[in-house]
Amino acid sequence: MTEFVILVTAGLANGSLYALVALGLVLIYKAQDMVQFGFGEIFMAGAFIGYSAYAYLGLSYPASFLLAILAGGLVGLLIERGLIRPIAHFPHMTLVMVTVGLSFMLKGIFRIPFAQDVYTIPPMFGGSPIIIFDLIFASQNLLTTATSLVLTLGLLLLFAFTDLGKQMRATAENMFGAQYSGINIGLVFATTWGLASVMGAAAGILSAPITALFPDMGTRILIRGFAAAVLGGFGSVPGAIVGGYLIGVIETLFGFYVATALIDLSAFLVIMVVLIFWPRGLFGTKEITRV
Amino acid sequence: MEIHRLFANRLFTPALFVALCLVSTATNPYLQYLLNLILVYVVVAVGQMIVLGFAGQFAFANAAFMGIGAYTVALLGSHFGISYWVSLPAAGVLCAVVGCIVGLPALRLRRVYLGLMTMGFAELCYWLFLHWRDVTLGTDGVKVAAPTFFGIRLDTDDAAFFVIVIVTFAMVLLAKAILASRYGRAFIAIRENELVARCNGINVPLYKTLAFTLSGFYAGIGGGLFALAVRFVAPDTFNLLQVVLHFAIVMVGGVGTLSGALLGALFLTMLPEVLRGTQAAQEMMYGVLLIGVIVFMPKGVAGYLIERRILPPEVLVHGWREEVREGDGTPRADAKPSTAELQKGR
Repeated sequence: MTEFVILVTAGLANGSLYALVALGLVLIYKAQDMVQFGFGEIFMAGAFIGYSAYAYLGLSYPASFLLAILAGGLVGLLIERGLIRPIAHFPHMTLVMVTVGLSFMLKGIFRIPFAQDVYTIPPMFGGSPIIIFDLIFASQNLLTTATSLVLTLGLLLLFAFTDLGKQMRATAENMFGAQYSGINIGLVFATTWGLASVMGAAAGILSAPITALFPDMGTRILIRGFAAAVLGGFGSVPGAIVGGYLIGVIETLFGFYVATALIDLSAFLVIMVVLIFWPRGLFGTKEITRV
Repeated sequence: MEIHRLFANRLFTPALFVALCLVSTATNPYLQYLLNLILVYVVVAVGQMIVLGFAGQFAFANAAFMGIGAYTVALLGSHFGISYWVSLPAAGVLCAVVGCIVGLPALRLRRVYLGLMTMGFAELCYWLFLHWRDVTLGTDGVKVAAPTFFGIRLDTDDAAFFVIVIVTFAMVLLAKAILASRYGRAFIAIRENELVARCNGINVPLYKTLAFTLSGFYAGIGGGLFALAVRFVAPDTFNLLQVVLHFAIVMVGGVGTLSGALLGALFLTMLPEVLRGTQAAQEMMYGVLLIGVIVFMPKGVAGYLIERRILPPEVLVHGWREEVREGDGTPRADAKPSTAELQKGR
């Protein structure tokens, strides 16, 4: 039993990262109906920017974290403004292709300084794990889960209570309608990409103390985030969060109880089974076809 | 004389075939290998083009079919000593069956969900190639036995070329015939509007499954040819990058054009070979070029060339080409819309 609880908490920590990435993907999907294939590289960029701030500038972990998510958000903003906005009227599949190119490009850029080695940040809290009753929690896992929860909550509050959030929801609902009601949809798109990339970069820097950093690290997390988003029903914000945690837990349990080699596959096995029975994910809404 | 008429000429295909055979006599081993690889990717790309470009299904299982095809040929040869001439069609048929099965969930899934399901299948296959060591030998990979043709061992790139070029031409001509028939038109109708297609009496589930089956068949044969071209099959070839590559070939070539599959395969197979420098520099240039092509030619290279009237428009309506020939070379006002025009309507 103890073992099970520890596994679940470790899974939740991983899952909180997947949830952040899934959330970023879903935000962009809701706004522009496209999948950002370069999102894994935003994650990687966040991790490396945080690493550079920590290792080269000598900043503390919280400061590096802030710097990384701000820089990541800025990267997202620039991508939207510089690359996606001018071609936003292209078919969605074409936009997806552009983000594939973007993913190669970002990987190349970060490979220039970081090609030689595998990098890592020491965990923020040193040794002592937190022990409640006879359950042991790695403090780093708790930190990851808590930070991700705070970010997620912040985003949900932003959606629910601010004008900007309302505008974002309106734009996702009906872009032209929003535009005609005087919403600056350009600003909304830019914010969406910025916020999404903040989520991705935050996941990156949070994962820095628990995994090794290398320029190709984005692919694995992109797939997990994608799987989490689809599991929740692509386009559903709560779905992405639940999906992320579910994938994280399932993966850890699969890896421990079934076979370690299955870790990479388990997310897909779950998704394939879920999609056979719920073709629009767990929280997906039924698509309405207008004739 | 307009250039597009040259391509539309019925002598163009035989001429291209002869030209390619002549070129292959003058190549060094490296160029020959590259030429073989391009032709192999043409077949694979046609498979992806049928399901994604024509039927409009977000299916990314093509790389998996290619892997299954390559492994079928390699393993039948090395475990059972079965001749290449048997295992190549077997790979095609096996992948067609697998494609048909993978296509079944596609009947219920759309867009991103279908994309993830098929991508999941691709990962599943990659995982099997990697971990089912008893059969696939895992990361060690499988050496492909050279086929023999009436006692001649086809163990060089030059020899393999003739097998590859003949199969590639046959496959492309077959695809052309299929796509110009009612099947091709049904695929396009489904891509443009599934509901309208259904209202026009098109059996949507049947044709979707057919598109998946065809895609599997093409990728399977392509995989079999790939095994012959590279003579060594390893799991890492069929990871997510291969999935992305097939998608990129279709997008760069031009969605919904058969010539797009050819041009996309040509460019994206050559591109990594042309790019020089460190891995970082190559990746950056690769990314910039992908973005550049798409931004400046949103319909892909083929779409761009068709608009410039350098390539002939690809028309899937019977008798249309004859009308063009009789007239002044421009489509009549009442002629049926071309694929390019259909795409514009989106």
